[in-house]
Amino acid sequence: MALDAGLGKRIAGEHRISMLLLGLCPAVAVSVRVIDALWMSAGVFSVALLAALCGALVRRWGRSGEGAAAGATVGKWMGALALSSCLTACFEVVLLAVAPEASASLGIYAPLIAVNCLVLGSAGTGARDSSITRAVLDAAEQGLGFSACLLLIALLRESLGAGTITLFAVDGFNGVIAIPSLARDPARALGASGAGLLCLGYLGASARLLRWRGEGREKELSP
Amino acid sequence: MSWGGIIITFALVDNVILSRLLGVRHSVCMPGSMRAAVGTGISTALLMAVSAVVGWALGTLALVPLGFSFLQTPAFVLAVAGLALLLRQAAARVSPAFVKDVSFPEVAVNCATLGVVLITTRGGYTAGESLVAGSAAGLGYFLVTVMMTAIRERLEVEQVPRALRGLPLHLISAGLLAYAFMAFDRAFLARVLGG
Repeated sequence: MALDAGLGKRIAGEHRISMLLLGLCPAVAVSVRVIDALWMSAGVFSVALLAALCGALVRRWGRSGEGAAAGATVGKWMGALALSSCLTACFEVVLLAVAPEASASLGIYAPLIAVNCLVLGSAGTGARDSSITRAVLDAAEQGLGFSACLLLIALLRESLGAGTITLFAVDGFNGVIAIPSLARDPARALGASGAGLLCLGYLGASARLLRWRGEGREKELSP
Repeated sequence: MSWGGIIITFALVDNVILSRLLGVRHSVCMPGSMRAAVGTGISTALLMAVSAVVGWALGTLALVPLGFSFLQTPAFVLAVAGLALLLRQAAARVSPAFVKDVSFPEVAVNCATLGVVLITTRGGYTAGESLVAGSAAGLGYFLVTVMMTAIRERLEVEQVPRALRGLPLHLISAGLLAYAFMAFDRAFLARVLGG
């Protein structure tokens, strides 16, 4: 399935929406600033992609050799955990070298990528799926959906909650865009952790409505 | 910080679910009965307390002295998963019925447990403080899990818009509960401890 053709349909599926919302839960804690959401998205996307690729490669290698015998559930589960945690540790090291401020800003949430259900799902899918391409495309689709949702929530929370949009600092630009009308009297409650959960809940409901509308199921809209 | 301060901070002020947004998936969004929620809450709380001490030992006695700090994430993740398996074995011997109600793989990959280990390790807590902090975080986790299950059971019989039913409504309820928990702030802590 082509990435662009299947993306909307797959992300909008009910199961996908639930998976996405559940995967977003811990990440929403760093959605107070857009730049933190960008780094977190980059982390989850890259780790999920590599976990799917490595999982599929291990599966292929395991089939042709004696590794197929190591198919016990606990072994697979621990293997997926070891894979995702090692890839997350690599991401942490790279992030610390490239952007120490972002590493400090993400704090304990960067290591938690290892147990994100999207990443573990990608590692698991990669291990089950016989096609490497399919496993990688699945992970890419999920990673894109995750990034889009997290950035949307961060944009909403930072712009309304602080009246700013924080991006990368470059020469002569400190990276902070102030929104004049909102910067004076921002809705500071949106910076609280509860706001992240509220945004996530309404995002899930909106995704459902869009899906139903897309499928032409108006009858489901009635209470 | 005093031990009383650590307990109140980890259980209420800096609640692992409502303030840190860790473990929301397992405590807020997992469908199940109150019995299953109590079982999951108890097992996760126990795992948090033990993991905090094991995490301290791993970090302080092994990884940092050997210069392998960059391996903290894999070490902690696998240690927590191993401890969850041990906890399952122990629970199966004590009460087989208890094991049926609790999904131990879900408990093992609960980011709240790993989060507590990371907070205590990075916060420079001692072994005793880590144990107290882990237990208090577990208590807070148990409290919120039971509260959210009760809320969920009440919501199931209410008339709500179809688009909000299920997971979105659970998340919104948790968000509102998080706002309510904001009453437990630093000022509250100072007032309770008389500081």
